[in-house]
Amino acid sequence: MNANCLFSPSPPPRLFPLRSTSSVSPSVYRRTGVVSEDVAVECRNLCFSATTRPGISVPILRDCYLRIPSGQLWMILGPNGCGKSTLLKILAGVVNPTSGNIFVEKPKNFVFQNPDHQVVMPTVEADVAFGLGKYPDMSLEEVKSRVVTALDAVGMRDYMQRPIQTLSGGQKQRVAIAGALAEACKVLLLDELTTFLDESDQVIKLELGVIKAVKELINAKTGGDVTALWVTHRLEELEYADGAVYMENGRVVRHGDAATVLDFIKAKQSSYIDQIGF
Amino acid sequence: MNLSNLPTPHPSLPVNLIPKLPIRHLTAPIIGRSFAIPKLLLHGTPAAKRVRATVDGDGGKTGNWVNRLPIPGLGAENVFRLISSATGSPIGQFISSPVTFLHSVDPRIKLVWLLTLVVLPARANIVVRLGLVVCTALLSISVLPRQVWMDQLARVSLLSGILFITLGLGSDGAPPMLQSRTPPSSLTGLPDLPMSLTGYSYMLLKLGPLQFTRKGLSIFQSASICLATTTPEQLALAMRWFLFPLTYIGVPVGEIILTLLLSLRFINLVFDEVRSVALGIVSRRVHWKQLTVLETLDIFASFIRRIFKNIFRHAEQISQAMIVRGFRGESSSHKIYFFSGSSNKFADFASVLGLIGVISTALLSEYFFV
Repeated sequence: MNANCLFSPSPPPRLFPLRSTSSVSPSVYRRTGVVSEDVAVECRNLCFSATTRPGISVPILRDCYLRIPSGQLWMILGPNGCGKSTLLKILAGVVNPTSGNIFVEKPKNFVFQNPDHQVVMPTVEADVAFGLGKYPDMSLEEVKSRVVTALDAVGMRDYMQRPIQTLSGGQKQRVAIAGALAEACKVLLLDELTTFLDESDQVIKLELGVIKAVKELINAKTGGDVTALWVTHRLEELEYADGAVYMENGRVVRHGDAATVLDFIKAKQSSYIDQIGF
Repeated sequence: MNLSNLPTPHPSLPVNLIPKLPIRHLTAPIIGRSFAIPKLLLHGTPAAKRVRATVDGDGGKTGNWVNRLPIPGLGAENVFRLISSATGSPIGQFISSPVTFLHSVDPRIKLVWLLTLVVLPARANIVVRLGLVVCTALLSISVLPRQVWMDQLARVSLLSGILFITLGLGSDGAPPMLQSRTPPSSLTGLPDLPMSLTGYSYMLLKLGPLQFTRKGLSIFQSASICLATTTPEQLALAMRWFLFPLTYIGVPVGEIILTLLLSLRFINLVFDEVRSVALGIVSRRVHWKQLTVLETLDIFASFIRRIFKNIFRHAEQISQAMIVRGFRGESSSHKIYFFSGSSNKFADFASVLGLIGVISTALLSEYFFV
C-alpha cells in the first residue's frame, strides 16, 4: 500500500464545466446571473482567509469549486477543520469571502450546527414563525398554517407551546429545521444537523427523521426547485444524498454523485488503516 | 577579650518542614485508650496528673491546619456540584400541560389580575390579605401539577418565612420622640380631638421587644401562577397591548417587546451555560484539598471568565442567526407573530367577574372589618 497517498497533492477536482465570468466580485457575480437555470448553488475560485491577532493571514478556503443542481440533496464531507462550515457560512452570507465567485439562489436559509444559536424565541411556535416576520403582509392564518406544516414535517406538532428550554438537543434541532422549512426557501444550507440527534432521530424512525423530512421536502416540490446542501461527518447519511462534495485542507477534493464520493472516502480510509498497520 | 570563650548562641526556633500531605496519627478507636500516646502511670503520686498537649497531631509539627477546619458543605467542590446539579428550569416557567382553566384566560386579564394581587394587599384589611393568600394557595393546588405546586408553595413559604423573621419581627427603626405641640385639653378647656376613623394601626402585634407590623405579608405565588399558565409570547402580547398608547409619544414599544422576548430566551441559555461550565470543572476531579486559597479563587475566576466568554459567543451567534433569518435590526420592519392561544370567552368573563369581586371586597373590607 502506498503510504504517501494521504500526503500526496490532492487530485484535481472533477467538476462540472463552469461558464467563465469576467467578474471576481461575489456580489457582481450574483447580479450578473450567468449561471444556468438548473443550478441552485455555484462557487468558483472561492478563497477565504482569517487574520490572526499578530496580523498573520491564515487561509481557510483555497480555490473552492462547487456546483449544486436544483432540486437535489447534496452533502459536504471532510475532516475537522477542512472548511466545510466556513464554506456554508459564506454561501449563507454570514461570512464574506476574501475572493471568488458565488451564486446561491434565493430565498435561502441556513441552519446552525448548534440549535441554541438558531432558536431565538422562548417557545416553539413563536420561534418557527420568527423567520416569517420578514413578510409583513402575510396573514396570521397563513403563518399558522406554515408553522403547523413545518412542525408536522419534523414530528414536533405536539410541542407547539412548549418552552424551548424544556426540549432536548435533538428536539431543538428539529425546531430549528422547522423554522427553515416554514420559510419555504429554495436553498437550505444545513450545518451538521444530526450532531444533536440520536440514532433513532436520524435513520431508524424515518417518519420522524430529519433526513427524511428534508428529503420529503425536496421530493414534494414539483419541478425540483428546493435544494439542500448538508454538511455532515457521517458516511451513512450519504445514502440519502443525490451528490456529495469531499473537502480537505480548504480545497474541494471530490465533487460528484454520492456513490463515487463514498468510494473515494472508503479508499482513503482503507489506505489510512493500512498505513498505520491497524 | 577572647570572643571564643563566649557561649555560642544556638537558635532555639526549630524549623519544621511542613509536609504537603501531613500524616496524621490515628486516634484510638477506644475512648481513653491512646496507643500513640500511652498514659503515664505514676504509682505513689495519685494527685499528680500530667497532661501532654501538642500543637498538631503530627508530633508537634504545624501541619496544613486549614484543611482541618470543620467546614463541610462549603468546599469549592460542593459549590460546583451544587451549581452543576441545579435544575435547568428557571423559576416560574410556562407549563404547557395539563391545560387548565387559567391557560384559556386572556393574557391581558391575567396581567390585570397579577397587578391587582400585587397592589391590593397594600391597601386591604389583614383578613382580606389572608384570604387572598389562602385563595392563591388553593388555586395553585387546583391548577398546577402536584410536584409543581408543592415545589412552588414550599419555596414561597420559605421566602415568606425569611421575610417574616427579618421584616415582620424586626424593628422598622427608632420611633420618633413625639411631643404634641397642641396644648392639652385640660388647659384649653376644649374637647379632645377625635380619633382616626379608619382604625389604622401600624403595629399589629407586640411581643416584648418584637413587633409585628403591616409590611410582613406579601403575595408571591400569584406571579408564579401567571407565569406557569401563560407563555412568554402571550405575556409580551399583553404588555404590547397595554403599552401601545405610548407609541404616540415616541416610546419604542416594539423594540421593548422584542428585547423582552430575547431576554426570556437568553436567560435559559445563561442558566445552561453556568451549569455546563460547572459540570466541566467537577468532571475534572480537581484535588481541591491540595490547592491553596488563591489557587481555588483562581479556578472560580476562570469559571466566571469562561461563562462570560461563552455567553458573549452565544450572543454573537444568535445575532448572526437573526440576520440569516431575515431580521435587519429594526423591529418595525420585522413582524413578530404572537399566537395568543385559545382564549375562552367564558373563562375571560368569569375571571373578570372574579376580579371585580376581589377589588370590591378589598375596598369594602376597610368598613366591615374596622
